[in-house]
Amino acid sequence: MRRLSGSYRSALIIGVQGIRARKLRTLLSMISLFLGVLAVVTVQAGASIAERALMSDLELRSGYDGTLIIDVMPHEKSPAIVTETVKGSDAVALIATQAIIGEPGVSPINPGAAPFDQGSWGTTDICDDSGNCVPGPPTGEAIEVALTAVTGDLMTYRPLRHVSGAWLDFSTVPSMSPRLVINEEAAKGFQNHQVPAEMRVNGAKANMTPQIVGVVNDGDVQPRAYVRHDELTNWLPAASMSDPNMGMPLQVMTTKGSAVEQVLTAKLRGAGIESYANLTESRKQMEDQLKLMRLVFLSMAGLVLLIGVAGILNVGLATVGERVEEFALRRAVGTPRLLLAGIVLAETMLTGLLTAAAAIGVGVAGLKVVSMVLGSREPLLQGVQFPWDAGVAGIIAGIVAGVLGGFIPALRAAGIPIATVMRA
Amino acid sequence: MTQPIIELAGITRILKGQEEPRTILDGVDLTVHPGQSVAIVGRSGSGKSTLLSILGLFDRPDQGTYVLDGQDISRLPERKAAKLRSSHFGFVFQRFFLLKHLTAAQNVAMALVNGQGWLPRRQRRARVLEALDQVGIAHLAKNRPTRMSGGEQQRVAIARALVRDPRILLADEPTGALDTETGTAVIEALLSATHRGCSLVLVTHDRDHAARMGRTMSLVDGVLTERVPV
Ligand SMILES: Nc1ncnc2c1ncn2[C@@H]1O[C@H](COP(=O)(O)OP(=O)(O)O)[C@@H](O)[C@H]1O
Ligand SMILES: [Mg+2]
Repeated sequence: MRRLSGSYRSALIIGVQGIRARKLRTLLSMISLFLGVLAVVTVQAGASIAERALMSDLELRSGYDGTLIIDVMPHEKSPAIVTETVKGSDAVALIATQAIIGEPGVSPINPGAAPFDQGSWGTTDICDDSGNCVPGPPTGEAIEVALTAVTGDLMTYRPLRHVSGAWLDFSTVPSMSPRLVINEEAAKGFQNHQVPAEMRVNGAKANMTPQIVGVVNDGDVQPRAYVRHDELTNWLPAASMSDPNMGMPLQVMTTKGSAVEQVLTAKLRGAGIESYANLTESRKQMEDQLKLMRLVFLSMAGLVLLIGVAGILNVGLATVGERVEEFALRRAVGTPRLLLAGIVLAETMLTGLLTAAAAIGVGVAGLKVVSMVLGSREPLLQGVQFPWDAGVAGIIAGIVAGVLGGFIPALRAAGIPIATVMRA
Repeated sequence: MTQPIIELAGITRILKGQEEPRTILDGVDLTVHPGQSVAIVGRSGSGKSTLLSILGLFDRPDQGTYVLDGQDISRLPERKAAKLRSSHFGFVFQRFFLLKHLTAAQNVAMALVNGQGWLPRRQRRARVLEALDQVGIAHLAKNRPTRMSGGEQQRVAIARALVRDPRILLADEPTGALDTETGTAVIEALLSATHRGCSLVLVTHDRDHAARMGRTMSLVDGVLTERVPV
């Protein structure tokens, strides 16, 4: 142990002295390597950022990885079975229906809860004599939204992004005036069209007065509102919910292997109701998609890195040639060959590390600039952090390049014969 | 009498060049006792440096035995040879072989920073200053060799050879690049080490310097003979 630490410290002192004596050469090696490491860092960072963005998009739409989504076919018994099974558990049931919010008796400007900017959908076309039609203004002061009633906190499974206001509060007593959280598309509609707040839901006993408590981004292009199931069912007779003709799709979100999964599938099977379970595996899907792309870019970066390695090798060989006397002398005073080889290798490795640090620094700064300049236009780049794995990739690339480029010079250094160099 | 520090017997070195093999050393016998000083004289090309290389474990003989301090080291793996070079030998050459990017003190410390027997920084500094002091240039510790005279540089080299307190000093024409006066001072510095039990093997062309040594050996065509003083 003592000997080892002595060797180690000797190597460190000699290595640092060597680098300090040849700052320009070290700089040259670094320059030759810099682009290669930067390429690796950039590819890795780009891939990570893209992956993260894709992943969070996928999570937003289909839930966290490992979420089990059970689709239950419409049946008169299915709402009762589902709500009963889900009650008191972590699982969340989703019931999808439609709601028209606005003036009573008016047809919505976007029938079928269509996105608003799909222009002519909810409008009457104005046509001239020759048959050319242009979209007219919206007909009714009402907006149709897809309505998702949830029995529990959906956020456990899907990370809906907060935009403004609050999320549904499940801890309070259900309110008679259903609280709605709408998505951004729906918010757009309410912003552009002032509508009186009254909500019509198919099958409801009466129209209700909803309160919009918040806006979220759910990644959906369709205007949608989320509501507490119990606040909606105050107004919906059980019969209408279970009417197979109404076709309200039922969905349960839970985790694979949970008690809810087992009990629910058993109960549904017993009642002769079909259901389909689907496990969310976003990361796996995405990785399959991104693997090839990443491979192509990384091999391109690897090529640039190889050129850098050739640079280090070149400079390293020249340096050893220049230091023949020094190495012979060091061997003469008893420095073991292996240590000398190690020192040469350590010097190039240190050069590689320094280069990696520089490339990572440039990468971090570059990303900051890009995110500042383009962040307002591209939400993907807004306030994006430098991915740590890009840093790791850069450091590994630097060290590997240092070792590859330093290996042959190290062998040369170890093989220098003392007797030939040191003769008078 | 004490045990010899060096016993060479029948040392032969044959160089296999492009032409036919040449015998550089031909059955050299040499015994050196602790504290003894030996001059080796001979023509250029007679094999003096080759003999010193073999003594200092830079080079290996093709035949013969080498006993160092009672141990047969004729066939020693390189790793152990490196260790012995560090623990037993100090070298001084005609060229000074100082590293110009290091100060005098760092050049001397080089023999301590060699991966053999680690000394903490404070002890290292003390040893280096002591060695520089022995050769009378402690005040130049922080100077770089490029700003020193030849004599001063050679003293730094001697301090480097002495810093590990070697058993044997090997000097290959150490005064070859110096004027007479400086050369004499360098020989004095080398000899002063022998007062502390260190042996000295000096290769020289200078009769006066050879005369200062306890014995003089003459190397002629690879054959070493004791020169009896007349
Ligand atoms: N590496 C070598 N390659 C070729 N010839 C060598 C080598 N080393 C020594 N010699 C030859 O060996 C002989 C002895 O050299 P050397 O020991 O340096 O002599 P000296 O030091 O007495 O001048 C010389 O003829 C020299 O040319
Ligand atoms: Mg010679």
